[in-house]
Amino acid sequence: MKAVMTIPQPFDQPGQRADWWRAIWPAVLTFVLGIGLWEGVVGFFALPLYLLPAPSQILLTFLAQPGYLLSIGAVTFGNAFAGCVFGCGLGVLTAIICVRWPLIAEGLVPLAVAASAVPIIALSPLMSLWLGSISPASKIAVVAVMTFFPTLVSVYKGLISPRADALQLMHSYAAAQRAIFLKLRVPAALPFFFNALRVCTTLSMIGAVVAEFFGGPQNALGVYIKTQAGVLRTREAWSAILVACLYGLAFYVVVVLIERAVMPWNKHR
Amino acid sequence: MSIVPIIEFDRVSKIYPSGSGPITALHEVSLGIAAGEFIALIGPSGCGKTTLMRLIGDLEQPSAGTVRVKAKSPDQARRDRDYGIVFQSPVLYAWRTICKNVELPLELMGYPRQQRHERAMSLLRLVGLGDFSQAYPHQLSGGMQQRAAIARALSFAPSILLMDEPFGALDEITRERLQLELLSIWAESDPRPTVIFVTHSIPEAVFLADRVIVLSPRPGRVQRIIEVNVPRPRAFETREDPRFFTLLTEVRECLRAMEG
Repeated sequence: MKAVMTIPQPFDQPGQRADWWRAIWPAVLTFVLGIGLWEGVVGFFALPLYLLPAPSQILLTFLAQPGYLLSIGAVTFGNAFAGCVFGCGLGVLTAIICVRWPLIAEGLVPLAVAASAVPIIALSPLMSLWLGSISPASKIAVVAVMTFFPTLVSVYKGLISPRADALQLMHSYAAAQRAIFLKLRVPAALPFFFNALRVCTTLSMIGAVVAEFFGGPQNALGVYIKTQAGVLRTREAWSAILVACLYGLAFYVVVVLIERAVMPWNKHR
Repeated sequence: MSIVPIIEFDRVSKIYPSGSGPITALHEVSLGIAAGEFIALIGPSGCGKTTLMRLIGDLEQPSAGTVRVKAKSPDQARRDRDYGIVFQSPVLYAWRTICKNVELPLELMGYPRQQRHERAMSLLRLVGLGDFSQAYPHQLSGGMQQRAAIARALSFAPSILLMDEPFGALDEITRERLQLELLSIWAESDPRPTVIFVTHSIPEAVFLADRVIVLSPRPGRVQRIIEVNVPRPRAFETREDPRFFTLLTEVRECLRAMEG
């Protein structure tokens, strides 16, 4: 049989770069306009520095001591990263256990869904009490708890996402449980996992900074922001917030890049 | 038939529990299917034709009676990898290229990499997808995806091919072309697999099959078995053959008589 197919090859993508720019320019424009508006409002109303510094002033403050700010950012980011690794790792492990023993899933997953809606950040002062306010352990713990539940819920959903016919196909090949898990459930769960991970990068940076508001070493972003804001040095506080944004964004982008490398089939969706 | 059947149903019943009492999908069905036969199962919706196919494939268990496949239980036949299954939807794994999808059963059965790749590629060429082996499923049309699913089902040369309305979701033009292609692939296979083809299209059943098994509405029973004495190889012109028309009418009237 010689089927003649005349649809274009799916791999040629001329103008992919143009498409990329087309997708991103509205956001770039909005960002530039937003910053411009901010700068304009501060200048026009001559807002006092302690109330709201202009973006240019924040940038200059950052540029006055970028090394120091980035280094205290690294301390906070380190906690966020470690917490995220623990939280997401445990979430994935628990999800696997839930799939293997459905009874555990029935007990645990509804609670995890509920816990995802709880402001776990409120635990911060208690974590400081239990694990020491200066030690990184309390911050890592907050982040770990924050990221654990969404990861568990999402990965569990992903692992049970294969439809009946996809499973029956495996059954018809007399595939072993292990093969069904590795060749069907795990790849099916990957998009869910990366969705969770992207949410968790943001959550973990928030968690780490806010946890430091309740105490931490002097060379940490949260402590720095709180102290500087406390004495109305808002430019300094804002420059540290800028650093938190930079680390958060970088973390997010790295996850997205890994996601694209791991799931090439998702690229054109 | 004097030959020993490859598939045998002996007073097989299938009863499903439901909120409004048990539903009898199949009632005491007995039949034999010879090796290499192309069987079409047809009947009104809910007549249990899919159930019958699924009982053969060990996707469901009979409530009473026995199903034997190659003188074994369906479960054993499944473990011996006797079944290639094509569902109504292609069920291709989105994360695998078309080639890797076709390789999946071979991978599970432990074929060496080189061999399974060659086998998959030759099947993809057979179904006209040679140029698309590195595409992902979502990049192909529905008809092409179903072709890939057929290639996957044939990849390990199973002795029985179970097809559950495989062309049901396709447009009429694609559907007729795939019917022709399926027949030529089947004819070229050595040995020819026994095909159980579930459909609700009368022309499709008559065009493809050696025998059309007409099932009655609930509870499903074998209403009639119609021999399709139209010679092979069948071609596009077969659909204009007077014998083809006569058989269409016969199946149609049989189905209509049951509505009675």
